[in-house]
Amino acid sequence: MSTMKPTDETPGPSEDTTSEVTDTTPALTRRTLLARTGATLATGALLMHGRAQAQSSVPGANAPRAGSAADTGGKVARQSHLPPGKAGRDYRPVVVPNGAKLPWKDVGGVKVFHMVAEEVEHEFAPGLKATCWGYNGHVHGPTIEVVEGDRVRFYVTNRLPASTTVHWHGILLPSGMDGVGGLNQKAIAPGETYRYEFTVRQSGTGMYHSHHDEMTQMALGMVGLFIIHPRRPVGPRVDRDFAIMLHEWRIDPGTRRPDPNEMTDFNVLTMNAKAFPGTEPLVVRKGERVRIRFGNLSAMDHHPIHLHGYQFRITETDGGRIPESAQWPETTVLVPTGSTRTIEFVADEPGDWAMHCHMTHHVMNQMGHDVPNMVGVKPQGLDAKVRPLLPGYMTMGQTGMGDMAGMHHMPMPANSIPMVGGKGPYDDITMGGMFTLLKVRDHLDGEGDPGWYTPPQGTQARPAQEDELRRDGIIV
Amino acid sequence: MHWKSPWLLSVLLLGGCASVQKERGHLEVAALVEERTGLNTRWNQGTPEDAQVRQHLDALLAGDLTSDHAVEVALLNNPALQGTYEELGVSQADMVQAGLLTNPSFDGSIGFPLTSDGGMEHEFSIVQSFVDIFTLPLRKRVANEQFLADTLRVAHEALVTTAEVRQTFTEVQARQQLVALRREVLQAADAAADLSGRLRAAGNVTALALATEQAALEQARLELAQDELALFEAREHLNRLMGLFGPRVQWTLAQKLPEVPAAEASLEHLETLAIRQRLDIDAARKQVSLLWNALELARSTRFFGRVDVGVHTHRDANGPRLLGPTLSLELPIFDQRQALIAKLEAQHRQGEDRLTELSVNARSEVRAARARLVTLRNMAERYQKVVLPLRTTILEESQRQYNAMQIGLPALLIARRDQVEAWRAYLETVRDYWMARADLERLVGGRLPVPTAPAPTPEPTSAPSPSPEPTHEHHEAH
Repeated sequence: MSTMKPTDETPGPSEDTTSEVTDTTPALTRRTLLARTGATLATGALLMHGRAQAQSSVPGANAPRAGSAADTGGKVARQSHLPPGKAGRDYRPVVVPNGAKLPWKDVGGVKVFHMVAEEVEHEFAPGLKATCWGYNGHVHGPTIEVVEGDRVRFYVTNRLPASTTVHWHGILLPSGMDGVGGLNQKAIAPGETYRYEFTVRQSGTGMYHSHHDEMTQMALGMVGLFIIHPRRPVGPRVDRDFAIMLHEWRIDPGTRRPDPNEMTDFNVLTMNAKAFPGTEPLVVRKGERVRIRFGNLSAMDHHPIHLHGYQFRITETDGGRIPESAQWPETTVLVPTGSTRTIEFVADEPGDWAMHCHMTHHVMNQMGHDVPNMVGVKPQGLDAKVRPLLPGYMTMGQTGMGDMAGMHHMPMPANSIPMVGGKGPYDDITMGGMFTLLKVRDHLDGEGDPGWYTPPQGTQARPAQEDELRRDGIIV
Repeated sequence: MHWKSPWLLSVLLLGGCASVQKERGHLEVAALVEERTGLNTRWNQGTPEDAQVRQHLDALLAGDLTSDHAVEVALLNNPALQGTYEELGVSQADMVQAGLLTNPSFDGSIGFPLTSDGGMEHEFSIVQSFVDIFTLPLRKRVANEQFLADTLRVAHEALVTTAEVRQTFTEVQARQQLVALRREVLQAADAAADLSGRLRAAGNVTALALATEQAALEQARLELAQDELALFEAREHLNRLMGLFGPRVQWTLAQKLPEVPAAEASLEHLETLAIRQRLDIDAARKQVSLLWNALELARSTRFFGRVDVGVHTHRDANGPRLLGPTLSLELPIFDQRQALIAKLEAQHRQGEDRLTELSVNARSEVRAARARLVTLRNMAERYQKVVLPLRTTILEESQRQYNAMQIGLPALLIARRDQVEAWRAYLETVRDYWMARADLERLVGGRLPVPTAPAPTPEPTSAPSPSPEPTHEHHEAH
């Protein structure tokens, strides 16, 4: 069901000589640009008969990187670019559940962005807020969405109490724009504004994050997605393009700031900085081709993201598009930390489908580690013994953590969320953290959450009837 | 004989009036004690009234014992104190003795003739020491002062006993509550060990973990035994002070330690107060004064030897009957009482030194006791206003962390135990405060001014109850 269907009839770039270029660089055509950015691109595209072009372009893999010393095509890295790509015309914008996008304006054919690094009060899920560091009032920072060939200019204003930089993770650019504090530039001091400017010469899913005191600044949330659409669609056109950043945090129940010193025990696992039940569902109409991009800037963990109900193909890594011949059918995509992965499939089966990290501790919220293993303990009489000392006491965990979903009536530390438990149509969902829902419907009214799915008659598990048991010879 | 010589008669009458009044000295002690403590004291002298006293004792011991009742029982029944009261009898007897004239001496002699030519001769005389008559008032004054000094000393003893009873009563009160708290610690350890046993039964913890919890439980049990013994010992101390044995030792004590007053009454001029009203200082002062009077007495009679005057009748066998006065005069040639005077002078100076020592020490002790009182009061207040609410908060937050499954029952029980330990420390501080207060009262020789009643402060919901006892009401689930 997730087989890629070539639907794109757009001719390859080699055929495209009609210039959209309003640039002042008369010599530059789209073709020459792409030829420089990916030397084998045009040839590859031709060989592929005009579809799924540009997908195996790995800069430097088959030919010297454009502008590098080994490149005989030019003496220096070229900064020439195409006119700013526009949403709707050049690309279908990504959907960022729970997230925001960084606005831009066209100044003389350059996309100009203004990023403000600042402290942000962020809500991870209802009941859990923390003071984080982010950009433009958002955690994570707003998603940057540009088009291959765009010239981009970022003004980065630092309103943090510490110096910072922005590193454009996975983006091909001149070394001086790479944003490693101390290495490529002096870190941006509090109150200062720096300018980054480069031409985007690739397509795919990239990221950005602070590269100064990374441990602190990334742990406090200073990361974001950097989506680059191809100038012309590559591969089958998708109807829904979701972008999700995976991240992990340490926020002790009752505290109000993520702890950047944590090395292993992360207790808040997020998709776009939201933990279930704070995550927005991914809403899709039946039959639509869906792309989901994952970026992972967790401090220590990879995340095997598992999607229920479908098989999908991993179509992109952070290095770019994977040739169709190399794509495997999967139900779980491992997103290593520091990497991006993109999956695609056709949503042909309606329903409410879970999508979550398959590390079981990553679908728990603020789980404690100093709790004795109570599973199997016979609690009879223990409550009566302890209550004279602790009237609020109740033995918990003797059948596992599932009961935690029903513990909302007990007093909890201020600013904390239950380990598990979001409302489902039938009961509490005993998961938290890196968990969300893919909601596929035959019909959709608007963009919002369509509510819970009602399975058609006979398509849902239910208690077995006695006559059925008898009929099938099951003795219980 | 001129038996009816008016001066002689009056002297004899004066002497005859000085009879011993058994109750007199004690009445003064009782008045002094009552003035300073507001409580009655009694001297049991084997009279029918003693039965009433015994009934009164039983009445005092019937209900829950209060601090005042305990003091009253001790004042009525402490054997050592009763022994001290007897000293008043001795002292009073001395005083009466001092007021008595030397008895006149009657001499008579009859001579029988051994030969026939003589007749029977007889001689009678009655002689009264003369100087006694002049020195009697002075001697009486000295004896009276001695008696007064003894009264003060005895009353002081009663007050010392009062202070000790109050302190011991406080100790018993505190020990009772400390034992109750220790029982809670034991209960917590029991619950932890119980949980550990269940965890072990479910296969979730090691034998090591179980044994560790069980050892902690046994430790708590032993500590409780120690605290129970301390309570028993404190009760027995109080029994000794109250002079109780037999079924009377079954008294109960329900009252909790009173809270430390919100504000201390002005503690200014306590030193002056101590010097003015302390009975032992007063007794020392009287002692100095009586030594001075004794010295004066010795000095004024320095050149008086013994002077005896009397009447004398004599009749020879063949002579007329003779009647005439007699005078016998001791000649102070060798003994001019210089030794006695020197001794009395030394004793007088000694008395003055003692008074100075007592005064200096009293002032210093008052200052030290006052500092201790104020420090303990501040500590108790700190415990009550800050430490105990903090411990309650810690327990409440631990319960929340437990509810969020961040910590387990063992950690929760540790928070409870720490709260109990804070209560123990608070109770001990309150106990020490009231003991220091009783000590200060002893040192200033009377009750301290009653401090202003604590203003009822609005209780934050999570604060502990104002009475020094642990409460559970704030740990409930909301």
